[in-house]
Amino acid sequence: MDARYIEQLVREVIKQMSNVAGEENTPAASACAQVGKAECDLQPGKDYPLAEKRPELIRTATGKKLEELTIENVLNGRITPQDVRITPDALLMQARIAEACGRKQLAQNFRRAAELTRVPDERILEIYNALRPYRSTRAELLAIADELEQKYGARINAAFVREAADVYERRGRLRTA
Amino acid sequence: MAKRSKRFEVLAKRPVNQDGFVAEWPEVGLIAMNSPFDPKPSLKIENGRVVEMDGKRREDFDMIEQFIADYFIDVSVAPEVMTMDSAQIARMIVDINVPRTEIARLAQGMTPAKVVEVLGHMNIVEIMMGMMKMRARKTPANQCHVTNLRDNPVQIAADAAEAALRGFAEQETTVGVVRYAPFNALSLLVGSQTGRGGVLTQCALEEATELQLGMRGLTSYAETISVYGTEQVFVDGDDTPWSKAFLASAYASRGLKMRFTSGTGSEVQMGYAEGKSMLYLEARCVMLTKGAGVQGLQNGSISCIGVPGAVPTGIRAVAAENLITMMLDLEVASGNDQTFSHSDIRRTARLLPQFAAGTDFIFSGYSAVPNYDNMFAGSNFDIEDMDDYLILQRDLMVDGGVRPVSEEEVVAVRNRAARALQAVFKELGLPEITDEEVEAATYAHGSEDMPPRKVAEDLKAAQDMIARGVTGLDVVKALAKHGFEDIAQNILNMLKQRVSGDYLHTSAILDQHFHVISAVNDLNDYRGPGTGYRLSKERWEEIKNIVQALRPEDMEI
Repeated sequence: MDARYIEQLVREVIKQMSNVAGEENTPAASACAQVGKAECDLQPGKDYPLAEKRPELIRTATGKKLEELTIENVLNGRITPQDVRITPDALLMQARIAEACGRKQLAQNFRRAAELTRVPDERILEIYNALRPYRSTRAELLAIADELEQKYGARINAAFVREAADVYERRGRLRTA
Repeated sequence: MAKRSKRFEVLAKRPVNQDGFVAEWPEVGLIAMNSPFDPKPSLKIENGRVVEMDGKRREDFDMIEQFIADYFIDVSVAPEVMTMDSAQIARMIVDINVPRTEIARLAQGMTPAKVVEVLGHMNIVEIMMGMMKMRARKTPANQCHVTNLRDNPVQIAADAAEAALRGFAEQETTVGVVRYAPFNALSLLVGSQTGRGGVLTQCALEEATELQLGMRGLTSYAETISVYGTEQVFVDGDDTPWSKAFLASAYASRGLKMRFTSGTGSEVQMGYAEGKSMLYLEARCVMLTKGAGVQGLQNGSISCIGVPGAVPTGIRAVAAENLITMMLDLEVASGNDQTFSHSDIRRTARLLPQFAAGTDFIFSGYSAVPNYDNMFAGSNFDIEDMDDYLILQRDLMVDGGVRPVSEEEVVAVRNRAARALQAVFKELGLPEITDEEVEAATYAHGSEDMPPRKVAEDLKAAQDMIARGVTGLDVVKALAKHGFEDIAQNILNMLKQRVSGDYLHTSAILDQHFHVISAVNDLNDYRGPGTGYRLSKERWEEIKNIVQALRPEDMEI
């Protein structure tokens, strides 16, 4: 085993630990907390698809169970658009599945997405537009990064937007006026 | 020439001679692969960070190169694979004794120039062998286009229902008039779920609008998220790798499946190929897609097929770009989706690599409407070619993702979809769909067979529908109230997918029981004859039994 492999292994472990800590800080990480950590050691073969094999782990954004999403409840108004939204928890579980399949970038996308569940639709569309070329000054992008981090706890996305600010500056893709 | 050969006069009139061809011109990027100006593979890593890639130093990286270096290249694999002989790697791709997982592992350490050098050693049959082994989902499938010249919603619903019945796993619509988009998405949703529960639908629009329709529950996935291989074209397309990667996460945060789109020839067409070959630039697109954490990519030249189609070995390069995508363990919706040639022979040959080898979506998409109604500028195969296509499946014993259907069941399902949409329009207070329109859509071939609608009224109502915040749940309610409980249930089941997120994984589709089939639980395990995807007995019976075939019991002897 060479040194680089060891180093990478350690980095991965640290990353996992910091992610678990991050999840515990958010209320949406409740499913994993409730059923215990061992239950969250998801395996693609035995646990996927989660809706079929582990339905007890899935909740809507408003805490309802999948089985409550019925026509009857839609008609009587118990189910609203908020109930057909994914939780950060479900995305983090899917990230674990993706990682177990060897798809680390897909897993990282799910982790960024888990953070973005907390950002309203309109704001997401605005931030996307702000990231397009020549739309924002460096200061504007950095302000978005701060907002993502402080208001929504979106640390990975904040770092991503800060990186974009650096790249856009180096390549002359910021708005100048 | 004073006197012409009658032979050459006949040949000059053949359809293929209406196609455009061009000699290679590497300086402007009019070369399919292996341009003399393509960079040579190289990679230097210092402290776990890429400091040189394909002959360029880190400080000179453009946005795409920096993104690939930092988000794609696996520095734990790169030193191993970058020193391997490219011809040897090409041989491993077709070697049934080397598993798919090993190729996928090695591919994560390759630079764009390296993977293009590997593919350069492969002929078209070897590329097809590679596709058969490397595509992510074991079971192949197909996607279709459902559009029409007048954005007629009743016709969209009927065509979507028929296409779902015919077996397409995904359906894509787009608009003639942009303001019709909410109606097109709604009609496709209702129609598809009438034909077969579990079909995924999308509406191709400007990026932000497309996301908004998805958030409302009127579509279930997105695909028109374009990426390009040079920085200038990327920026001209009004995006950067960072904005597109953010958009990818935005989709996942709403539980929506999505893939990126790219394709050989787009950079030449947009005038900034930087003198690189089409395949080299496309390799950069595939790698940045992987780096962004997107589960899949629509490529195979797509709307630029005329460009690789015009140069030598261009159609081989198109198959090669599909293969690169598969090697990177990404879903591929593999093109064949724009009118490509005047020659029926040529357009069939262009299809064969994806069709015979099998891909996640052989077409992206097959035109489920007449060529004149296809708002994506036609497709390589249209609804008029459906019987030919069904017989190609039967001739070659290939699963092309569709099934023979009877006229009676098509008429019935088109009628039901049109009536269901009529009920939804009524319940949501949208402009009336008349019984005359339902009847026309039931028996129509194309928009020429449909009575005209009051377009101004439709457009106003479509905008109003968005302003009022109509969502997929309102559609469920409307259907249930008007006696279409099964379709209501199907749409609710589609909405439930976005709560669990199972269909966000690589190559995911849904069967009629809403069971997710993806590269997690249906991973391609091809290891030579007798392994990987094989037609089941039931599926082969379905493909075999075309109505045109004579049976002994039908003969009067």
